[in-house]
Amino acid sequence: MGALLTKTESKAQSEVQTAKKISGSEVLLRSLIAENVKTIFGYPGGAIMPVYDALYHFQKELDHILVRHEQGAIHAAQGFARVSGKPGVVFATSGPGATNLVTGLADALIDSTPIVCITGQVFAHLLGTDAFQETDVVNTTIPVTKWNVQVTEAKDIAPAVAKAFYIATTGRPGPVLIDITKNAQNELIEESEYRQCKSVRTYKPTPVLQYDQVEAAAELINNAKRPYLLVGQGVLLSEASKELLAFVEKTGIPVASTLLGLGAFPADHPNYVGFLGMHGNYGPNINTNECDVLIGLGMRFDDRVTGNVNKYAKQAKIIHIDIDKAEINKVVKADVAIHADAREALHALIGYCKPNKHEAWLQSFHKLNQVEYEKVTHRELNHPKDDLKMGEVINHLSRFTNGEAIVVTDVGQHQMTTSRYYKYKRPRTNVTSGGAGTMGFALPAAMGAKLAVPEKEVVAVIGDGGFQMTLQELGTIMQYEIPVKVMVLNNSFLGMVRQWQQLFHEKRYSATEMVNPNFIKIAEAYSIPAIKVERREDLQPAIQKMLDAKTPFFVEVVVGKEDNVFPMVPAGACVSDCLLEPPTPNP
Amino acid sequence: MKQEFTLEIVSDNNFSILNRIVNVLNRRRVRIKKLIAHENHDDFTRGSAILLVYTTADLMEKVKHQLEKLIEVEHANYYEGNAQYYALNEKNNRQVA
Repeated sequence: MGALLTKTESKAQSEVQTAKKISGSEVLLRSLIAENVKTIFGYPGGAIMPVYDALYHFQKELDHILVRHEQGAIHAAQGFARVSGKPGVVFATSGPGATNLVTGLADALIDSTPIVCITGQVFAHLLGTDAFQETDVVNTTIPVTKWNVQVTEAKDIAPAVAKAFYIATTGRPGPVLIDITKNAQNELIEESEYRQCKSVRTYKPTPVLQYDQVEAAAELINNAKRPYLLVGQGVLLSEASKELLAFVEKTGIPVASTLLGLGAFPADHPNYVGFLGMHGNYGPNINTNECDVLIGLGMRFDDRVTGNVNKYAKQAKIIHIDIDKAEINKVVKADVAIHADAREALHALIGYCKPNKHEAWLQSFHKLNQVEYEKVTHRELNHPKDDLKMGEVINHLSRFTNGEAIVVTDVGQHQMTTSRYYKYKRPRTNVTSGGAGTMGFALPAAMGAKLAVPEKEVVAVIGDGGFQMTLQELGTIMQYEIPVKVMVLNNSFLGMVRQWQQLFHEKRYSATEMVNPNFIKIAEAYSIPAIKVERREDLQPAIQKMLDAKTPFFVEVVVGKEDNVFPMVPAGACVSDCLLEPPTPNP
Repeated sequence: MKQEFTLEIVSDNNFSILNRIVNVLNRRRVRIKKLIAHENHDDFTRGSAILLVYTTADLMEKVKHQLEKLIEVEHANYYEGNAQYYALNEKNNRQVA
């Protein structure tokens, strides 16, 4: 049997000619070029050296960005993919090079990001012998990839690449990995025309829209008194923002967004009622248990959104529209399930739905959000005597950029604060690690995003904890002079964990206080101009200076050490029990 | 309430595919009582796995969809009880013979 179990095909006599021979490495690079790849994030090593040697001759066609850690490469590829819609491409060597990709693969899988990773592997005859830098990459990454394959012969490289790109970018997108042994990289084979993959026999990425389900959904919507639409990343992946806007303007339905759906619907639209979930806005959470028809569009009812699922929207009829059949009925039972691409579903649904307005229902959201403003937001934005608040920093950033910058957040309090206070107006401007919550995501993802769309402003907002997980990528930013803007909100704590320790563990701050280095000196060591902000009056000038810079720029803002992010739906609580302030201890 | 189900999976046959199938079940902590996997007798690039599992009806339905998400899996069907397990096994044995 060969490297893959395939039937051999006989060659026509006319094909048996003396054709030019090229290495498997060159086949790989030519295949990537045929797939319109221009940028690769990678880190070389012994087992992928033939590929890098071939890459030397493709410097005009392929821009290789040398990162400082393979995790930086894959997060950069994620940022690249999130803002452009194109698959991010990663090169890594065998053994630890490949295993350093695992976190990013898991992150990309749960957040549906198209990534193609190429890992070098030891010679095929050494597989399974515990050779130097040999790891069973395929079995290690099965649970964290949409698909993966090991290639041990050069003839299988091009078909594997074609299949990888097809799988990564169709249906619900995701990461794929191709593990290529060194002998396959070196092997010489006849050059042949690259064929893109148009189908895989066992894989059906495009659902067939069931019109009877669309009609059933429309009937519920048309008769609803309090319909409510939750939009997720599926709208962005489907590029359905225009159709969504048209649908909402016709039906008058209030719209809230999940974390990864931010930007799918303009935040300044009158029907937009806010961000929902654990740290979402008050109105969207409370009214989940008041609506009569709940529509989940391109979202998967994640536990951060639902809270206690036994007390989630039990009074409502639920319509769930998603491209991934396994998500339908996985968490909440759908009364009407539409297994479809979001854009296709909206396009059909809008024709069946009647024009409507739900003014009183929409106002109920705004009234609840007003309660939130008085108890939470006002304090966050207007407290001149307190330490700088994360909310006021993000509020200024949002105003200065008009809600149109690409903002890449790390994980923690600053992430939730940015999701609440940055008013995203456009698709593919919010980049964050949602399902996995990977600290260290933002810095490399921001540099990847900037390389994808250099004409747009890209700002990374990071906590002091997450920044230190991948700060080595300042080296990549320095080497390639990537003009990304970095804001570290420094509270000298792992803030979100500290918040939970305060609220649920009686302030037992176990291993959350951080003694940090001089971040300004670190940035300057990487030749990046840097400012530290400790006083309120310095904040806005610093933000302006950062945005005006044509180079990379670093701003550290010292924020309140023990500030908390509210509203909050505690883990396991009902969305109706959304807290606006810390709970009062029992007497 | 947990009960026996026969799970029939039709897929491509290649390295690591059985591993992928079992991973889905392991992740959900579905008990596997018996398992047969084989290449098709007339086409080694395709194969089947027949499993006798012990789980709830709700989880069985969810696992079916998660198995069908695997790229190489063509379809996954399940039947209540174990009768179909032995019937499918017998059918495969006759084909091979």
